[in-house]
Amino acid sequence: MPEAHAAPAPTQAASWGRVRRPRRLADRAMKVFCAAVTALGVFALGWILLLLAWEGLTAFSPRIFTEVTPGPGSEGGGLANAIVGSIILTFLGITVATPIGVLAGTYLSEYGKSSQLANVIRFVNDILLSAPSILIGLFVYTLIVWPTGGYSGWAGAVALAIIATPVIVRTTEDMLRLVPNTLREAGAALGAPPAQVTMQISWRAAKAGIVTGILLAMARIAGETAPLLFTALNNSFWFNASLLGGVANLPVTIFQFALSPYPNWQQLAWAGALLITVAILALSVVARLLVRKAIR
Amino acid sequence: MTSLAAMAEPSAAKADLSARVRIACRNLDFFYGEFQALKDINLDFFDRQVTALIGPSGCGKSTLLRCFNRIYSLYPEQRAEGEIILDGHNILSNAIDVNELRSRIGMVFQKPTPFPMSIYDNVAFGLRLYEKLSRAELDQRIEGALRKAALWDEVKDKLRQSGMGLSGGQQQRLCIARAIAQRPEVVLFDEPTSALDPISTGKIEELIEQLRTEFTIVIVTHNMQQAARISQYTAFMYLGELIEFGATTRIFMNPDKKQTQDYITGRFG
Repeated sequence: MPEAHAAPAPTQAASWGRVRRPRRLADRAMKVFCAAVTALGVFALGWILLLLAWEGLTAFSPRIFTEVTPGPGSEGGGLANAIVGSIILTFLGITVATPIGVLAGTYLSEYGKSSQLANVIRFVNDILLSAPSILIGLFVYTLIVWPTGGYSGWAGAVALAIIATPVIVRTTEDMLRLVPNTLREAGAALGAPPAQVTMQISWRAAKAGIVTGILLAMARIAGETAPLLFTALNNSFWFNASLLGGVANLPVTIFQFALSPYPNWQQLAWAGALLITVAILALSVVARLLVRKAIR
Repeated sequence: MTSLAAMAEPSAAKADLSARVRIACRNLDFFYGEFQALKDINLDFFDRQVTALIGPSGCGKSTLLRCFNRIYSLYPEQRAEGEIILDGHNILSNAIDVNELRSRIGMVFQKPTPFPMSIYDNVAFGLRLYEKLSRAELDQRIEGALRKAALWDEVKDKLRQSGMGLSGGQQQRLCIARAIAQRPEVVLFDEPTSALDPISTGKIEELIEQLRTEFTIVIVTHNMQQAARISQYTAFMYLGELIEFGATTRIFMNPDKKQTQDYITGRFG
């Protein structure tokens, strides 16, 4: 490095040791405190996961996937009806929530932008995003279960859809906003009307992100218990084709079995909890991989 | 066409008398909300010639370019007043369908804007919007456009691959192919090489030179050497006004106005 480029040396060098001891101590104490709190959080989470893995794996057996939930006090049995019921309810919920969520998110990003209506929708969506899920269960109970005179899988799917929709609205809008405006201009410059630009360019560019939002919403509703308590309830048999009456599902089964006095039921609750955790983990990992691809 | 040429007053600076006027701006004003970005622009663009718009940043040259396909109208707070006459029609009038107008005027942007789809579908995008073509015709038009954009030899074996996988220079040529596939009358270039390396820039400049035989070209550029190399006419703009317009050789060798002289010699801007 040539001397000529160096800044001129100060006439009097600043003395060392100006950072005083108390400040250095405070700095170190803060660092230790933060690390300790982090460790506490990770420890609690690790404990839960390890206990779950231990108890779950102990209770695990192939009959969980083949046999229906056993009666109180009886031995054996599995969770097959609850697993299938949960899959059906989750898919029904997502099927209802996806078109509504994607279209609403598209409206916010592509058409509404910062208009009054869009801002109101965004605000309401944020409230819905953090609404207690038990409230949504009660809402669907008064809206569907009570007038139709019975619990049903349909009511459960509607409750789950209401929980999933705001998640999809939010991620769809966020992902569409990441699409550079020049891409929309380039589409318009070829003479494409706004609807064509949205469907063929913006959606395509944001596809991975939008799918991620749907997967995250799926992960969210797969473990919801409260909204199902008032809607789909539960059942110890296979669902009937009309989905009327209670429909067996994992979260409510876990809730009931874990509170029961029967060791066999408690064992099954552990196995079910492990199963649901692994499923949600898998969904989240796939979603994260997609996000990485979407953001590039 | 003859009526259009008769309507437009011949510019005093017109050098090539055989060239006909393709686009004529008359008393054009442009506003971003309250801010007036273009002031009373009167300017003719000649058929099958390259016209360069030069001037310091913020002078309104890109704004002027964005008037010709009314792309500004995507933003409700922007508006143009006055007349822009293309083929005898005032394209600023409400009677003109903007989407049809845009299918007749191609545009290439500063940054390459390949759509997230295959190379083939990128070029086919504009064609599918307004023309019902058989598979064979579509293939033919796409090959033709890619050849004219000097990209065919590089992509002919990977037409089904994503357009996003190409290099920056290739992406820009893909965008040119996409614009000319629709067989527009005018192609607008908004600083098309400012994001590219010198070799890619050279290729694009050569390409613009060749495209001139078929299309009327308007190019915004920050690079004065580029304007001098590829254009036949140059308009110098400053603070939203047209300062001087004329044959490129005259503007660069012997400008009338002192401001033009100062900008070209690098005294400001």
